Amino acid sequence: MDSWVVSYGIQYVGILIEAGLIVLVAQRSQRNRPISVLLYLSCLLASALARAYALRVYGLTSRQYFYIYWCTDFLLVISAFILVCLFFRRACLHEEKMWRFARLLLVFVFVVVLCISGLVFSRNYKDLFPYFVYEFNQNLYFACLVLNTLLYLLLQQIESTDDQLGLLVCGVGIQFAGPAATLALVHITSSERFALSLNSFSIPMCTIGMLLVWAYAILHVKEKAIQVARREIPVLAEVAAHLNIQI
Amino acid sequence: MKNLVLTFLLAVLVVLTCVTIRRIVSGSPTLAGQKTTLVAIGADPVPPTPPKPSN
Repeated sequence: MDSWVVSYGIQYVGILIEAGLIVLVAQRSQRNRPISVLLYLSCLLASALARAYALRVYGLTSRQYFYIYWCTDFLLVISAFILVCLFFRRACLHEEKMWRFARLLLVFVFVVVLCISGLVFSRNYKDLFPYFVYEFNQNLYFACLVLNTLLYLLLQQIESTDDQLGLLVCGVGIQFAGPAATLALVHITSSERFALSLNSFSIPMCTIGMLLVWAYAILHVKEKAIQVARREIPVLAEVAAHLNIQI
Repeated sequence: MKNLVLTFLLAVLVVLTCVTIRRIVSGSPTLAGQKTTLVAIGADPVPPTPPKPSN
């Protein structure tokens, strides 16, 4: 009973943080607004509201909640993949060659995921939902995890100065790697009860973790911009003094 | 610290790749209406038991 109260609490905390972050991002100037983050947060919030409604009306063990949960998960993995693609574009903004390679890789990964999921579906073509949606969701989820790890390595390799992007990628990493790690634990321990309960809690907790890291990333960069603006004053004064000497 | 995190991630990926390969070789899908351990996105409670696929 208590664990369900905690689950519902986490759900509402998640909705509040998502709504707060959307407001925070939307309030920023057009230039500093990360559109990819805004789009993903909107999908997260829309899914969370649909799930909360279904949970309240139909209940946790109902078939309706089950279908709404996994259909919205389908929307979320697609939007997560788009988010990772947009992060790749942002990381390779000044590296055209790298972006061409990354674009090919992203298309290739998506086609491979579609083919593998289609292969499983072709064996069980009578049931689109249980087989294709589960397979596609799970495969694209792990593809996003691998691509996000590659993106993190790429950022280290090119020594990116985009601190905000680094933190956003770390946030996505928390969201993907946490549940994947507990799923691995479930497989290693042959579905131990502790591992199973840890797995069910890790999914919401890692999403909350990602949202908190994103909140920090958005606020941190804002503070940094103010610091840069303050530091420019002595530089301008120095240039002006230099020009006076020249004149 | 960074290397430790990356090694951990790599270990997770290796385990999951092995599980996926075993599943592909044995020819069974992730869910045949029985297995419930999955990964998902969102802060909402995961539905506990999926209904069996209709025949």
